[in-house]
Amino acid sequence: MQSLKVPAPSPSQVDLPFLELRDVSKSYRTAKGNYTVLQGVNLSVKSGEFVSIIGHSGCGKTTLLNLVAGFIRPSHGLVSLENRRITEPGPDRMVVFQNYSLLPWLTAYENVYLGVKSVYRPRSETEKRRARQIAEDYLELVGLADAAHKKPKQLSGGMKQRVAIARALAMHPQILLLDEPFGALDPITREELQDQLLDIWQRTKVTVLMITHDVDEAIYLSNRIVMMTNGPGATIGEILTIPLPYPRNRVMLTEDPQFFTFRNQCLSFLYERFALDVDYD
Amino acid sequence: MKTVRPYLEIDHVDKVFRTERGAYPVLKNIHIEIDQGEFIAVIGHSGCGKSTLLNIVAGLERASAGGIILEGKEVNQPGPDRMVVFQNHSLLPWLTVRQNIALGVNRVFRHYSPQKRKAIVDEHLALVHLTAAADKYPHQLSGGMRQRVGIARALALQPKILLLDEPFGALDALTRGRLQEQLMQICNTHRITALMITHDVDEALLLADRIVMLTNGPEAQIGRILPVELPRPRQRMAVVNHPNYYRLRGEIVEFLNEQKKLKKQRELNRIAIAISRGNIEKINLGLGFIPLTDAGPLIVAKEKQLFQKYGLEVELQRLSSWKSLAEHIVSGELDGAMMLAGMPLAVSVQSNQLITTALTLSRNGNAITLSNQFNRPNSSPTDQLRNYVLTAKEKPIFGIVHPASMHNFLLRKWLIKIGIQPDVDVELVVIPPPQMVANLASGNILGFCVGEPWNTRAVLDDVGFIVATDVDLYDGHMEKVLGVRHSWAQQYPYTHLALIRSLLEACAWCQKSANREELVDILSRPEYLNMNPKYVRPSLCNPLWLTKEKTQYLPRFHHFLLRNKPCLLEHEWVLEQLIHCGIIDCKDSQGLLKQVVRDDIFDEAIALLDPNILEPEVQVSNQAPETIH
Repeated sequence: MQSLKVPAPSPSQVDLPFLELRDVSKSYRTAKGNYTVLQGVNLSVKSGEFVSIIGHSGCGKTTLLNLVAGFIRPSHGLVSLENRRITEPGPDRMVVFQNYSLLPWLTAYENVYLGVKSVYRPRSETEKRRARQIAEDYLELVGLADAAHKKPKQLSGGMKQRVAIARALAMHPQILLLDEPFGALDPITREELQDQLLDIWQRTKVTVLMITHDVDEAIYLSNRIVMMTNGPGATIGEILTIPLPYPRNRVMLTEDPQFFTFRNQCLSFLYERFALDVDYD
Repeated sequence: MKTVRPYLEIDHVDKVFRTERGAYPVLKNIHIEIDQGEFIAVIGHSGCGKSTLLNIVAGLERASAGGIILEGKEVNQPGPDRMVVFQNHSLLPWLTVRQNIALGVNRVFRHYSPQKRKAIVDEHLALVHLTAAADKYPHQLSGGMRQRVGIARALALQPKILLLDEPFGALDALTRGRLQEQLMQICNTHRITALMITHDVDEALLLADRIVMLTNGPEAQIGRILPVELPRPRQRMAVVNHPNYYRLRGEIVEFLNEQKKLKKQRELNRIAIAISRGNIEKINLGLGFIPLTDAGPLIVAKEKQLFQKYGLEVELQRLSSWKSLAEHIVSGELDGAMMLAGMPLAVSVQSNQLITTALTLSRNGNAITLSNQFNRPNSSPTDQLRNYVLTAKEKPIFGIVHPASMHNFLLRKWLIKIGIQPDVDVELVVIPPPQMVANLASGNILGFCVGEPWNTRAVLDDVGFIVATDVDLYDGHMEKVLGVRHSWAQQYPYTHLALIRSLLEACAWCQKSANREELVDILSRPEYLNMNPKYVRPSLCNPLWLTKEKTQYLPRFHHFLLRNKPCLLEHEWVLEQLIHCGIIDCKDSQGLLKQVVRDDIFDEAIALLDPNILEPEVQVSNQAPETIH
């Protein structure tokens, strides 16, 4: 699977900030005046890092992700990838949403191929063959080679999300943006997909920025957990580094004394220091 | 004799669905007694029949056998005394919040005045903090708010029991957390009896008095019932910081993982067939171990192909708690396991499944570690600890790994020696070894008695210091033993002999100081202890770090080859301790010891063993245990 190979970053690249948010704010004009969602957000993500963003509803997590994806622009500050300002969406930053967003009339393979085609624009027969190969390889990477010719409605939620991940990865993004990717899945499928994502991340060395509500998911997967304060004017409250080595194993993680400390630190942030008033929603 | 009937009794319920392909048994022999005001959580994987059980209690389905008794009367129809809150809230979309709640109230309390009925609706709107949203329609509400309407609607009918079917399952983790706290407050204030179906472990622990764990279907049964001994009123952060929390959580997670594993195995339809080779009746064995330094003999026998040498094919299974390990032996899922010294006796009495031990795997290897707060320079640690304990407002807690462990007995002896009464002045709580250091670091416990590498881990992580080792307290005591079912030993006598021989050779390997560095490397691997070797090395290779500054050479700290023959007198002493501490009750001590402790099998095993393998120590015959100083 030569297409999966990503050039190893040179030493100088490793130290340079890869994704950077510098003093980023975002406000919207509403009928009642200006509404500030994010305020003064500073974050550097290294190449190949797995970073999770956690916070209550309305804390601007999705806004932050949309800024990186280039769907929206900051009202103030700079969002850049490899020192290039992000101004619009691009295949170097692929988003996977909770609701899969696959085209229902296309098969799993066709959904992935569509993405590949849009990036590589194959013309010659050789190029087309190569593009088809890439789509197949990525379906295989997520363990769906056998279901390649099924339509989304024939697939389970977990399988659909794997197609969406394959589609995103097949476009060789520099950064994978995940917006609560497993939120809609049952616990067992969720755990399986977390394991698979971790495995894919280690094999492809893609940088991941993931939004989640789930403390255990964040600890299990991430290098760092970014905890957001509550909106309006949400910002980064604390960043927790999880220094546990990879590959990680779910059972062994819960046997590590540090696990309880990390877990309680996250819970304390979310339920004590930045607890949300129950009546908020 | 129980004179008071339970408030709600789920009385030996079976449920069989008739399908086109024949009868499908969902639930088998489910029996739960619930007291008034009690909160019961039922946890299990999808498809295990949890919701079917709830529907039967609600009267939405009939049990195939057994039944539901509420306040002494059988119920088999739906009624306002049992209200259900479903995951999908099921509010009527064309009615406002107030109208949705009033619908049931107006029907059930028909005989009340309109004012009184309105008062009930208002009261319950306020209860779930939705007064301000009373005139909104469901589509104008968030998921969390809609679920609160569902709860208010159910409670407004003043049911005798509230039935919750994964009420928060569709909400994101953080919204779920907030609603759990709110539900907990309501249940506390109004002493509501509730039965909740969930697959969220933290939710069950926060809310429930008892957690009923269901096995996988078909024929789902009650696997375990876990009492949640966390003080009330509960508060999420106080709950997760409680020293018992991660032990309880670990028990449920482990149960669910086991069920998941079983399901996969069943799907693969893998039938383990006992293959015999020569006179060995069964060659493929499953042995259980706990990731601890003294699991060395089992791990080495595997890694050094010693099992193969004696004709065995062994799969090692790593378990995180002694309780779960015992269950695996009793149920027959494992052929044998390393056990704590007191477990063969304790498990035999407690489970009605007789356990046999014919090999002692190790001696010593434990220490008592205290929090660093008792290591100030001016006075002795024991004085500092005593002063603290005797003036503490709440009873301080010490950690042990299992009631039937030497750790329990050693810690008790040591505490008494320094003038602290166990159970009176301090409480001894069971905490799995991996959680000891975290609990010590967060100040939940003052200290613990545990095997390696956990004492070293506490010292090197700057959390605690070693105040005593078993070399000081009871040098040469029996620590880990090989335990198998008595019936298993009878069924597979030659397999048992081969197992003893291979493990004994592994013990000899572990004992040699020339092998200790390699032992450190093997044990540290991810599949075994999964730990940095720096934590594993000190107790095996010396010196042991007592504090971050002070070391001690303890060449006798781990014995793997010393009096490996089971000693009746030692087990008798252990039995006395078990009875004395109130862990078990035993009428026929001698009869029990005779069946559990099988030194005769050990003798048979070594009779044909190459004597060069063993150092002379092992042939020392029955020797009285050294007394505790």
